[in-house]
Amino acid sequence: MAQATAGKATGANLPFIYREYSPEQLKQALHKMYLIRRFEEGAEDSYTRGLIHGTMHLSIGQEASAMGICMPLTLDDQITSTHRGHGHCIAKGAEVAKMFAEFFGKTTGYCRGRGGSMHIADVTTGNLGANGIVGGGLPIAVGAALTAKRTKSERVVVSFFGDGANNEGAFHEALNMASIWKLPVIFVCENNGYGMSTSTARSTAVANIADRAAAYAMPGVIVDGNNLSEVAEASHEAVKRARAGEGPTLIESKTYRHRGHSKSDRNRYRTKEEIEDWMTNRDPITLYETQLQEFGVIDQAGIEGIREAVRQEIADAIEFAKASPSPEIANLERYVYTESL
Amino acid sequence: MDQPVRELSYAQAIQEAMAIAMEQDERVFLMGEDIGVYGGAFQVTGDLVERFGADRVIDTPISELGGAGVAVGAAVTGLRPIFEFQFSDFATLAMEQIVNQAAKMRYMLGGAVSVPVVMRFPAGSGTGAAAQHSQSLEAWLGHVPGLKVIQPATPHDAKGMLLAAVADPDPVMIFEHKLLYKMKGPVPEGYYTVPIGKAEIRREGRDLTIVATSIMVHKALEAAKTLEAEGIDVEVVDLRTIRPMDTQTVIDSVKKTSRLLCVYEGVKTLGVGAEVSAAIAESDAFDFLDAPIVRLGGAETPIPYNPELEKATVPQVPDILKAARDLVSGRR
Amino acid sequence: MPTEVILPKVDMDMATGKISRWYVEEGAPVKKGDVLFEIETDKAAMEIDAPASGILRDVTGKEGIDIPVGEPVAWIYAEGEAQDRPVAAVAAPATEEPKREDTKPVQAEPMVQAQPAATAAKGEGARATPLARRLAAEAGLSLDAIAGSGPKGRVTRSDVEAIISAPAGRTEAKAPDAPRRPNGQPSASSQALPTDGAVLNHAWLRQGSGRPIVLLHGFGADLNSWRPLLQAGPVDAPVLALDLPGHGGSGRTVPADLDAIAAQVEATLAALDVGPLLLVGHSFGGAVAAAVASRGIADVRALALIAPAGLGPEINGAFLDGFVRARSEASLVPWLKLLVADEQLLSKPFVNATLAQSADSELRGVQAAIADRFFADGTQTFDIRKQLAGLRIPVRVMFGAGDRIIPSSQAFGLPGEIALHVFAATGHMPQLEQREAVLRILLEMARA
Repeated sequence: MAQATAGKATGANLPFIYREYSPEQLKQALHKMYLIRRFEEGAEDSYTRGLIHGTMHLSIGQEASAMGICMPLTLDDQITSTHRGHGHCIAKGAEVAKMFAEFFGKTTGYCRGRGGSMHIADVTTGNLGANGIVGGGLPIAVGAALTAKRTKSERVVVSFFGDGANNEGAFHEALNMASIWKLPVIFVCENNGYGMSTSTARSTAVANIADRAAAYAMPGVIVDGNNLSEVAEASHEAVKRARAGEGPTLIESKTYRHRGHSKSDRNRYRTKEEIEDWMTNRDPITLYETQLQEFGVIDQAGIEGIREAVRQEIADAIEFAKASPSPEIANLERYVYTESL
Repeated sequence: MDQPVRELSYAQAIQEAMAIAMEQDERVFLMGEDIGVYGGAFQVTGDLVERFGADRVIDTPISELGGAGVAVGAAVTGLRPIFEFQFSDFATLAMEQIVNQAAKMRYMLGGAVSVPVVMRFPAGSGTGAAAQHSQSLEAWLGHVPGLKVIQPATPHDAKGMLLAAVADPDPVMIFEHKLLYKMKGPVPEGYYTVPIGKAEIRREGRDLTIVATSIMVHKALEAAKTLEAEGIDVEVVDLRTIRPMDTQTVIDSVKKTSRLLCVYEGVKTLGVGAEVSAAIAESDAFDFLDAPIVRLGGAETPIPYNPELEKATVPQVPDILKAARDLVSGRR
Repeated sequence: MPTEVILPKVDMDMATGKISRWYVEEGAPVKKGDVLFEIETDKAAMEIDAPASGILRDVTGKEGIDIPVGEPVAWIYAEGEAQDRPVAAVAAPATEEPKREDTKPVQAEPMVQAQPAATAAKGEGARATPLARRLAAEAGLSLDAIAGSGPKGRVTRSDVEAIISAPAGRTEAKAPDAPRRPNGQPSASSQALPTDGAVLNHAWLRQGSGRPIVLLHGFGADLNSWRPLLQAGPVDAPVLALDLPGHGGSGRTVPADLDAIAAQVEATLAALDVGPLLLVGHSFGGAVAAAVASRGIADVRALALIAPAGLGPEINGAFLDGFVRARSEASLVPWLKLLVADEQLLSKPFVNATLAQSADSELRGVQAAIADRFFADGTQTFDIRKQLAGLRIPVRVMFGAGDRIIPSSQAFGLPGEIALHVFAATGHMPQLEQREAVLRILLEMARA
């Protein structure tokens, strides 16, 4: 089922995104990938300083996956996300200031301080929410796709999930229903190799999670999740199919998280060499920058400009979050039910 | 204003409510296992599929977790699903979506979304279906902030509360006692609602308040009739909603009668009766109590198959009579 | 069912206790609240009240023997109730046959009490429904004065309402163990008692023969405050103690003046058919006693005043204020220390008993109003010298030389025929601090 991966090419054989998108859009993609990276580094730093409580799951190293999937999506399209969902949220269009505010537990946060990292959402840009339950978002995405179909809208819904979720019952129930009802939903498994500490080799009967698509009669596509163009191309195909009413697609985006599962991970299940290899040789941002320069889309100065802009954006966002008010204890029970006006 | 009233069964009343909701609002649709041409395990959806088509009366695979999640996702994105569980026991398969997603989504997202999903749960014992098809799990869901949990006891309320549930912006869980489906009662034609969160005094009395839910309301009323001949004047409060609970009606009633008996089918311990009792103990009605509060609930066992055993697991009219007599005579 | 009388736990680390003496003989009638027996513990002697009214039978708790806490020591039977309990002496050798008094029915009790009352603790510890509790509190009734008809003697609404609506008013269940009428018929006391609520709460602390001694406690105390005095030696006279209005179990009212209180004392004595008597008053109760004696309505044959109020303007206003306001042991004890010359006399039971009343904020509220009326701004606003001067009965006044509440100097200048006893190294509580001497004086007066 896996599609042939597009190799590095020139001229008429340019990788997909160089054919599909303008240089400005390509630079925007780099900007967002940096925004995701620096946002998470900033969050990690704030966490270390005690400004953020709880825990968080960082997706550093997976930026191309989030960005590539979201490139063909419109603002009206929707996603459901995971506990490792900061990248999805930013890629779909959320503002980092309101995300930081949420992480700081402030009223100006996307969830007014009720959700935090694990429930980060921005419904206005189509993100129906990160989810603390592995596999929790899959049936919800199918429901959202059912709405899209019943209301005859053009909307598609993407459900991000990790390799761990593919062993949850919800994954199988959701894929089956989406397929029998030919719903406009795209299942995106970001396979970073480990469900917490347990590798896919130990947890999953099939070699590739995309192999499971066969059981639900839908295309299963494997992409290099650290290659922005490959991810975006697969997403384009799946979105086209969904909008055409042909039903769901399962995309497996093979990637790697540089950090541990969460802030309490002691990293005992991966070797230093393995992590080092992914960080130095397969970092999605470095790969994309190199490619952009190779194809003359941007030069070193342009890259520096993006980095500086992102640095400033992140610094401003953290300031906004710090300066924002905390929720009133008296409002503790707000938003449990829909308040009657 | 006054709509013509006919006799309908509880199941017919629910079906009528669903039909009216679907006629009035294009967003409303039904999901569940075998609710289409089969008509539902208890024939509640009946032939609605013929009227509204398979797109709006959707047979799902046997996927309670996924199905409930699809309903939640559809509700969040603008539809008004009514999801039928074949048996309330199967809620156990869908707890993740009900408890973690439907109930909490609005809160987790700081009010950015509402989840107007309705879930229907055929519940209760008395059908010989034994341990996995006879439970009364309403207290489970009643424990979850974000959900509303109702137990209509009459055809009139079944229709009016279902229509109120469909109109409600939040997730509403309806527990329908299976033995009530065939019970007939007066039901007005057309659209009307019965408010969620409001108890109903089914019978006024001076000597004892019986707070009952669902089918127990009818058993309490039957007992009240017998007790009346003995000079015991019972007030029967039909709780109707267990979350948010209308404790004020119970408090007012207990202040009048000074005695409280809770009757419910769910397992006695940590159940609805515990909540009602605690609400009274915490309220100003406490100083009006002239006898200990008594609970009659389900036995601390799974529901057994043998019909005599099955009957013995849940409160019956003689149990209510005995408890009421003991309370009023001062034997308790 | 007869009511069980147990050896109660009266001290924290008490496992056994000895009955030092029984105040009621086997087969004799007893009224709920009467002193039944006395327990000796390591620390103190404690009087135990009858838990119910009826006839005392099956007394198994022998005097002077260690008895485990919670053991039954006797049973109280309702009148006419058959005696069918197996009787075994507690902690007594098997050879020792329990004493069997005759079991013929005893004269009916002059009380209207439908059921034996519960074996319940006093006051707030009584078993009662929340509704009964509230109704009793609103009516100013003490719960332990009400026989419960519910399971385990639980007092219910109907029990309280029966008393409120009874002709005798709220005192029915506390109907006194009044002397028999000449014709031997029970005095239907519930009908004899006035219905205007004028009758004060009271208890016969001792049965006996001879001239009754009637005790009026001081401000902020209650009838139980006399119990230690009576333990100082054998008492053969009947002893009646009253709760003043706004005190103990009496109605929580603020009387207008001394005469109003005196009238209630008189009504109570009349209702109880108490004949010629020795009237004893302490402090504020002393002023009331003087007023009663001078009015000539009750048959007061002798008057004993212990640290009486009303002999001069001065009184320790800070004490009154602090005492009434104290709600905790920490805030109460410093004031109690002012009462006595020797702090060692402030026994734990005494402090606890006072504290129990302090916890009743309604009670202390009423008493604050009484203090405002009679001791406004730390001044005694009434004078009993004139009344005392007109008395033609034996009067004795007792003071502690070290009284820090009412200075003993106020006893100076009394008429010559009034005897004055001033105890050295004694404070405001001679009846506690010099109890043998005070009891001896009172018994002398009663016998005279």
